[in-house]
Amino acid sequence: MSLSDLVLSLADNKQMLGLRYAEWATRAPSLEADIAAAAMGLDDLGHSRVLYGCLEPLGADPRAPERESDPATLRNLAYFDEPWTEWSQFVAANAILDTAFTVMIEACVGGSVDVLQHRLRKMLMEERYHFLHGRSWLRSGIDAGPLDRAWLEAIEWFGPSDGETAALHREGKLSMGPAELRTRLEEQLEAKAPRANTDWKTWDPVRRRSRPGAVDAHTFAMLRGLEEKKYAPPTAAKQA
Amino acid sequence: MSNYKRVSGDAVEYEVFARKTRVEPLHQVGSVVAPDDDLAMAYARATYDEERWCEMAIVRKEHVIELWSPGEV
Repeated sequence: MSLSDLVLSLADNKQMLGLRYAEWATRAPSLEADIAAAAMGLDDLGHSRVLYGCLEPLGADPRAPERESDPATLRNLAYFDEPWTEWSQFVAANAILDTAFTVMIEACVGGSVDVLQHRLRKMLMEERYHFLHGRSWLRSGIDAGPLDRAWLEAIEWFGPSDGETAALHREGKLSMGPAELRTRLEEQLEAKAPRANTDWKTWDPVRRRSRPGAVDAHTFAMLRGLEEKKYAPPTAAKQA
Repeated sequence: MSNYKRVSGDAVEYEVFARKTRVEPLHQVGSVVAPDDDLAMAYARATYDEERWCEMAIVRKEHVIELWSPGEV
């Protein structure tokens, strides 16, 4: 496992978060919340593009050809596998997971790797508004189910105390390790993560998750551009 | 500022001000409705961020002290 693997996980998760936000751009509880969902979706899709662009300068691009055919090779959290059906799922992702990704970006910006220090800094400014949005909706009260699940997946995503994230912290490439990331997340949200007994033996260090599964078929087809092709005009070759 | 109210429940109306350069004054670009300042900031940024503003600020509409209104002078 390497820093590139972590950046790819961050990129895949930002991409999926952006897509799931966008799905709520006409379903949120108010017009303002609709617009915020669309704007945050665009932000996170843009962030994912920047993060994918960091893989080459980092020296080792871990993206394999199987990403085109097997959704289980994408490194998104299980929380993003299926479209959200409840607004409380949106809020929990916005408040907990989006902030967890921001905290990791802070660790990258504060670390010793030039390309991450410089390219990721602007994301932190944009993420301030995602945080305000998530925190405010969180304070209005949401179901415990999505909230507990988001906390669990965020803490798991930071990784075990003796894993790769901790090693990257020791090497100075990240300014925070798993314990510091968790503390920072709790400070930001002014809340303690619920108690969870993660079995790190069953945790997948590449996808940074414990749950099996993968993104739904429709979303995977959309990511690959197959949904778009359904609406494309027939090519000249086919017409002939 | 319009007298039209679209506030319901605990929501509050905020006026949004912005400017593109330091030499021009802040001017009103619109409004948002939100239950608190945090969400109002997030909504203002999401709604009015199409242009490259160098400054944006929000103020609760109820905090604006009106000296006179149209038709009063």
